Amino acid sequence: MRQFPVSAADNKLAAIDQEIINPALHQDCIEVKDVTVSFKSAKGLYTAVQDISLTIKKGEIVSLIGHSGCGKSTLMGTISGMVKPSKGTVIANGQVVTQPGPDRGIVFQNYSLLPWLSVYRNIYEAVDAALPRKSASEKKALVEHNLKMVNLLPHKDKLPAHLSGGMKQRVAIARAFAINPSILLLDEPFGALDALTKSNMHLELLKLWNLDNREKTIVMVTHDIEEAIFLSDRVVVMNNGPAATIREIVDVPLPRPRNKKEIVHDPEYIRIHDRLLNLLIEKFSIDDIHA
Amino acid sequence: MKSIFSYKTLVSILYFAAGIALMGGIWELIASLTKNEIPSPKMTWAVFKEVMNNPFQDDPDYKGIGTKLLSSLGRVATGFGLGSLVAIPLGLLMGSSKAVMNIINPMVQLLRPVSPLAWFPLGLAIFQDSPKASIFMIFICSLWPTLINAAFGVSHIPQDHKNVSKAFGFSAWKYLTRIVLPFSLPHILTGLRLSIGVAWMVIVAGEMLSGGIGLGYFVWEEGFNGGSVAKILVAIIIIGIVGLLLDKFFMSLQKRFSYAQ
Ligand SMILES: Nc1ncnc2c1ncn2[C@@H]1O[C@H](COP(=O)(O)OP(=O)(O)O)[C@@H](O)[C@H]1O
Ligand SMILES: [Mg+2]
Repeated sequence: MRQFPVSAADNKLAAIDQEIINPALHQDCIEVKDVTVSFKSAKGLYTAVQDISLTIKKGEIVSLIGHSGCGKSTLMGTISGMVKPSKGTVIANGQVVTQPGPDRGIVFQNYSLLPWLSVYRNIYEAVDAALPRKSASEKKALVEHNLKMVNLLPHKDKLPAHLSGGMKQRVAIARAFAINPSILLLDEPFGALDALTKSNMHLELLKLWNLDNREKTIVMVTHDIEEAIFLSDRVVVMNNGPAATIREIVDVPLPRPRNKKEIVHDPEYIRIHDRLLNLLIEKFSIDDIHA
Repeated sequence: MKSIFSYKTLVSILYFAAGIALMGGIWELIASLTKNEIPSPKMTWAVFKEVMNNPFQDDPDYKGIGTKLLSSLGRVATGFGLGSLVAIPLGLLMGSSKAVMNIINPMVQLLRPVSPLAWFPLGLAIFQDSPKASIFMIFICSLWPTLINAAFGVSHIPQDHKNVSKAFGFSAWKYLTRIVLPFSLPHILTGLRLSIGVAWMVIVAGEMLSGGIGLGYFVWEEGFNGGSVAKILVAIIIIGIVGLLLDKFFMSLQKRFSYAQ
């Protein structure tokens, strides 16, 4: 696998960084307005998230963190259009979200690859469906380019069953990127990756974001506080469910490009890290531990 | 690797041979107990060779056993083919729509337990032709397993697969060909395998009723009416072997089209 020395890649990012002055940035891209999602269950109505409001600007990278089952995926689902809010609306790219669309690329928490299609076909079918106007050779080029990006070109003819968890996740990432959406919705995209691959994927993600003049808006669910700080402009911490709300939104004003090795010593980083840890750990009580 | 494989093959061949020997022994015993009222394997073998003589003879006054077998297989293929052509799409529809399921299911539940033979007179009344009535009977009994299994397959498509379709905006055609069909294919093949098994069983009984050229009629006419128990045994063996081969064929299809989850 290709290895980027962390600091060298960051230097490249620095060069790009100085050129970017983009007037299109900083307009609202995603608006979650008073969203409540309830599910019908055998025991009656279960409210997963309640009265959530969140505005995300164009080009922003925002992470959602919170304990398992608090409703992170559900909230993502309302933005992607996979989940219908019971109350409230979501606006993405100026339009009310009623269903998924090619402007929003989704990486599902459990990869969601089709087991009877090869790696290549899994991505191709998605591209073919989402970008019907492209010619066959353009689609092919898109698929191959994105497979190369996640270092899976040599594995393109394998079935998902013959891939490791991390490889499946990379296929899912390549599939979401391949339709070149302006909004990327990543649900624990790096959860199954080993530390090294994860680090590479972080840099790849930022590289793509930079190459695109930082115009892509990225919303990501993660459990990894370090990852959240390294990548994000803001970290949204959620309360535990049922009826989860936003507990606090923590700004990450660390300058970009960020150097993975260096930022961990930055007092600002340490402050944010502690803050996030406190927000998450406070939720533990003796009862939770014994539950 | 290779030696383990051949060792395994050897063992399974030995088991098979032991099974056949045991069956032959029991047969021999029954033959001697019935004073050859039930002919011994050896006597049956003699008749078998006689029956197999010129198997594909196809004269107006005499048809060889092979010709009869092909005639039976032809009827099975026609009835089974037509039945599957109806059952697969209908099953897919039932599996994907609750409404269709609710409309069709009571009918299936009511008709499925009916003995296939009961359809024969109805077929006769409709077609006024006994071979066609046999085909009709095969058609009906080939419907149920395929219908039920196809419907089961489609109704169990995992949410994850549906999410992919929704997230990337698959067209109805893409959803059908890239998700519904590949996911339900193993289930459909299970249905087809069960169907062909039933059809093969039913054709013999049907041909006893319908007469004409076929294995069932051979058992009845030349075996029972002709007073040759050996011929009945020969027919049973042939029917058994052909049924086994049909099953193996569909089993290999199932293996070929099952994907690792
Ligand atoms: N389709 C659904 N039907 C019923 N309950 C659901 C559904 N999706 C999620 N939930 C429930 O909503 C809560 C939040 O789930 P989720 O958003 O997946 O949490 P997270 O991603 O934060 O782990 C959980 O209690 C889960 O059981
Ligand atoms: Mg989740």
